[in-house]
Amino acid sequence: MITKTQVVVIGSGPGGYTAAFRAADLGKEVTLIERYEALGGVCLNVGCIPSKALLHTAEIINEAKEASHLGVSFDEPTIDIDGVRDNKEGVVSKLTGGIKALAKARKVNVVTGYGKFISNNQIAIDDSDEIIEFEQCIIAAGSRVTKIPAFPFDDPRVMDSTDALELSDVPKRLLIVGGGIIGLEMATVYEALGSEITVVELSDQLIASADKDIVNPLYKRINKRYANIFLNTKVASMEALDEGIKVGFEGKKAPEFDTFDKVLVSIGRSANGKLIGADKAGIEVDDWGFINVDKQMKTNVENIYAIGDIVGQPMLAHKAVHEAKVAAEVICGHKSGFDALTIPSVAYTDPEVAWTGKTEKELKAEGIDYEVGKFPWAASGRSLSIGRSEGVSKALFDKNTHRILGMGICGTNAGELIAEPTLAIEMGCDMSDIALTIHAHPTLSETTAFAVEMAEGTITDLLPPKKR
Amino acid sequence: MSSEIYIMSTIKNIELPDIGDFDEVEVIEILVSVGDTIASEDSIITLESDKASMEIPTPSAGVVSSINVNIGDKIKQGDLVITLESGDDVAADNDANAGQSAPTEAIEAKIVPVTVPDIGDFDQVEVIEILAQVGDELNEEDSIITLESDKASMEIPTPIAGKVVDINIALGDKLSLGDLILNIESSALTSADTEASVEKASTPAEQKPAATPAPVEKIATTLDQSVSNAPKGESHASPSIRKLARELGVDLSNVSGSGPKGRVLDEDLKGYVKQIITSGSMGGGLPKTPVIDFSKFGDTETLALSRINKLSGKHLTACWLNIPHVTQFDEVNIDQMEAFRQEQKAKGVKLTPLVFIMKAVVQALKNHPRFNASLDESGENLILKKYFNLGIAMDTPNGLVVPVIKNVETKSLTDLATELAQTSAKARDGKLKPGDMQGAGFTISSLGGIGGTQFTPIVNAPEVAILGVSKSQMKPTWDGKNFIPTLTLPLALSYDHRVIDGAQGGRFMADLNSILSDIREILL
Repeated sequence: MITKTQVVVIGSGPGGYTAAFRAADLGKEVTLIERYEALGGVCLNVGCIPSKALLHTAEIINEAKEASHLGVSFDEPTIDIDGVRDNKEGVVSKLTGGIKALAKARKVNVVTGYGKFISNNQIAIDDSDEIIEFEQCIIAAGSRVTKIPAFPFDDPRVMDSTDALELSDVPKRLLIVGGGIIGLEMATVYEALGSEITVVELSDQLIASADKDIVNPLYKRINKRYANIFLNTKVASMEALDEGIKVGFEGKKAPEFDTFDKVLVSIGRSANGKLIGADKAGIEVDDWGFINVDKQMKTNVENIYAIGDIVGQPMLAHKAVHEAKVAAEVICGHKSGFDALTIPSVAYTDPEVAWTGKTEKELKAEGIDYEVGKFPWAASGRSLSIGRSEGVSKALFDKNTHRILGMGICGTNAGELIAEPTLAIEMGCDMSDIALTIHAHPTLSETTAFAVEMAEGTITDLLPPKKR
Repeated sequence: MSSEIYIMSTIKNIELPDIGDFDEVEVIEILVSVGDTIASEDSIITLESDKASMEIPTPSAGVVSSINVNIGDKIKQGDLVITLESGDDVAADNDANAGQSAPTEAIEAKIVPVTVPDIGDFDQVEVIEILAQVGDELNEEDSIITLESDKASMEIPTPIAGKVVDINIALGDKLSLGDLILNIESSALTSADTEASVEKASTPAEQKPAATPAPVEKIATTLDQSVSNAPKGESHASPSIRKLARELGVDLSNVSGSGPKGRVLDEDLKGYVKQIITSGSMGGGLPKTPVIDFSKFGDTETLALSRINKLSGKHLTACWLNIPHVTQFDEVNIDQMEAFRQEQKAKGVKLTPLVFIMKAVVQALKNHPRFNASLDESGENLILKKYFNLGIAMDTPNGLVVPVIKNVETKSLTDLATELAQTSAKARDGKLKPGDMQGAGFTISSLGGIGGTQFTPIVNAPEVAILGVSKSQMKPTWDGKNFIPTLTLPLALSYDHRVIDGAQGGRFMADLNSILSDIREILL
C-alpha cells in the first residue's frame, strides 16, 4: 500500500516534531514517522524531560537536608520509589500527549513504525509493503546510546541512560562510567535517592568540553559527597557476578577491581545515520553515522534534508529545533539558513554548569587574543542568601574589540543564566553593553554583569584586578 | 648544518619590495619565463597602481625556477613573485632565507577547482563533450570539455596542469561563468600560487551570486552557501539582520555598519541593496551619453586607451564631478624674467620659465595658505600643508602623469631645472615610482612650450587649486603714452570654490602676477 505525502519527517523528537509542525503551518501535507507509540523521541521520553523531573526530586531532597543550616530541620525523607517514578512518568505523558494533540490539530499524519528508505522518494514502514511516497523528506532519526560490546549489557544491572531513568530500584553502590553531562546528571539523582556513587572518567576532567575552572565548583562539591571520582581512568573489564558487577580499572588512583551493585554506562551517543537505509536513497553517511548537510540542512540528495543529532555535534535538542525550522522553511520556499553563532550547553547537575560561545581552551587553541572576567559567587548576596556560594562566572572577550566571545557559569540556575550571554553573543555585545545594562538586585543574574565588570575593571563589590 | 648545504644550489624567494604606499597592486606583465637566466636588477614584472605602472627588478641573479604570480593578480609588499635557483650562492644567503618557507614545503599537492572561464557574452551553455576523465594527467591548456551555444562550440582548456580528481558536470548540463567543471590535484604549483588560483577561480561566482541561478526547481529556495553572515571588520549584525541579508542574498562581509559600534543596521543593508540597484544600468546616477555606430557614417578604427589614459580618466572624472570649479585668467609681464633668463643662457645656464613659475607659486602659497590645503573626509575641515610640494603635469607617450617636486622652497632655480629634467626623462620612460607621484599640495600644468592663449585646468583632487600656463606672447601694452611691446605670460587659476572664494582667488592671482613680473620678489 502506497501513501503519498508532500513532506515526510522521520523521527518525532524535538527536531522531528518541530520540522513536521512548521512545514504543516506553512501549508504542507505532512507525515510524521515514529517507531514508538509515544511522540517526542529521546528528549521527551528517555532524556531531557524525565531526567529533569527526577533532578527536581533530587533538588528537593538535598535542599531539605541542607535546610538545617537555616535553622529548619526536617526528618529523614521517606522515599517511595514508585511515587518518584510515577511523577516522572506523569510529566512525560503530559508532554507527549500534548505533542500528539498538536499534531492532530495541525492534521499531521502520524505513522507508527520504523521507517527505512527504499528509494529517494519512498520509505517502507517496518520493512513491510506499507510505503510512504514523498516529495521532500526531513530525516530527524537522532542518535542512540553508545555501547561497548565487551560490557555485559544483557545483565539488567548494567544500565544505559534509558535504563537508569526507569528507576527500577536504588542501588547501594552505583558506578557511573563516563563523567559527562548525562552521567553526572544521573549521579545527582541516584545520590539524592541514597546511592553511593563512584564516577570513572577517561579524560583528566569531568565534562571535558567545558573549561576546567568552570567545572571545578561542581567537582569540589561532588568529590566530597561521592565515594570516588577517578579521572584519567579507563574501565578495562566488566563482569557480571552474583554479588554484583565486577569492574576492572586502569588508572593511578583507582583500585584494580571493585564490585558495584549497578553500573551506568554513559560514554556518549552515536548517530543513527546507518540505520535508516540511507544508501537506498543515495544519501551519504560517514563512518560515524552522521549525515553531512549544508547551511540549509540539505543532504547530497536534492529532496532530502537532515537535522538534529544525526547531522553532528552538539547533540542537543535546542540545536535540532532550530535546524528543524530551517529545513521546513527551506522546503516551503523560504531563504532560511542555520547561522546561529553559538549553541549553549547545560549540565543540570548540582550546581549546574553552563557555557556558551567559545571556551577559554578553544580561544587558546585558536590563538585568539582574549580577556577574562571571572566572578566568584561568594561575593554575590543572592548566592549567599540561598546558601550556595560555590559558583563562578567567567566571561571571555576579544582583547581588541572587547566583544563578548564566550561565557561559562557554574552555580545554581546556571542553565537559566546562560541565556543572557548567548543573546549577547548573537547581538555582538561588548563589555560595556553588558556592564551598563542594569541587572536587578539581588539576583543571580547580577553575577553575569559582575563577571563582565571584573574584565572591565569597573566592579565595586570586589577589588577589580585592574582599574580602568 | 652540514657543509653539503653550502654547495648545493639554493632556491631564493624573490618577494615584492617596498613600492611605496601601496598594497594590492595589479600585475599587468610578466617579463621572465621559467628557465630564464637573469641578472641582478633585471626587470621581472610590471605592476600598475591607480597612479602609474612600474617595473620591478630582481635583487639577485639566477635561473627562474618558478613564477608565482599571474597577470591580473593583485599583490603587495612581501608577496612571493618568483623563485630563483642560483648555484653560486654562499651560506649567508641560505641563512638569510632560513626564515622563509623552504622551497620543498612550497611544492605540495593541492586540489584546485577549475571553473568556466569568461567565454564571452554567454550564459547557460550546454556541455556536448567531456574530454577529461577522472585520473587523467592534464597539461596546462589541455581541453577538458566542449561547450556549444546557439552560435558556436568551444573547447574549454584547463588553466593548470595536474591530475583530475573529480568531474562535477555531466553531458547536457548548461554552464555559466564561474560554474565548477572539475577539480585538479596540482603538484606543479607552489601552495601560494595555488591559493591564488583558488581565489581567482572562485571570484566570478562570488561576484555574481545572482548571475548563476541553480537549476529551475531550486531557484526559490537555494541559498548561496558562500554568502557570509559575518560582517566586515569591526562591525557586527544581530540574528534578524543576518536573516534579512540571507533573504536579500547580500554577503554581509560587503556591508559596513553605521550603528553603534559598527553594528550593521536594517537601513545599512537596504542602503547597500539600493545602491547596487541604482548603480546598475537601470536609471538613476548620471545620464549616459548616446551609443552610436559611427561606422555607418564612414570608416572607423578602434584604438584602445592606454592604461594611463584609463586611470587618469577615472581620476579626472571624479575631480570634475566632485569639485565646483572656478577658473580665472591673468596675463603677466615677464620682460624682466625673460631678460634674466637670456643672460643666464648666455653664461650656459639653461633655465625654463617653469622653474621661475614654481618658485613664484611657492612664494604665493606662503602668502595664501588656503591654496596649499585639502578638505578632510568630512568636508568640514581644511588641512593646511606646511610643506611646499608641487605636482607638475607632464605629457608622456603613454598619457598624462603628474610627478611631484618636493620641498621646492629649499631648492635653487638650477636645482629645480636639473630635477625637472631628470623627472621628465623618468616619466617618458615609464620609470616613475608611486612615491614620485605622491604628496603634492598644488599642481602646475604648463602648455607654454606648446601653444594656445588660455585653457581651464581641472583641479587635481584632493588639492584645491591648479595653475595652467599657456604660451607667452609679445603684446602691446599701454603705458599711458605709448603702446610698448611686452612679453606676456597667460595664466589660468582653477580652484575648488568650496574652499576658495573668488576674491581670495583674485588676490592669489594678483600676488602671483606681482612676484613673476618682478622676480626679485622670489627672494623675499
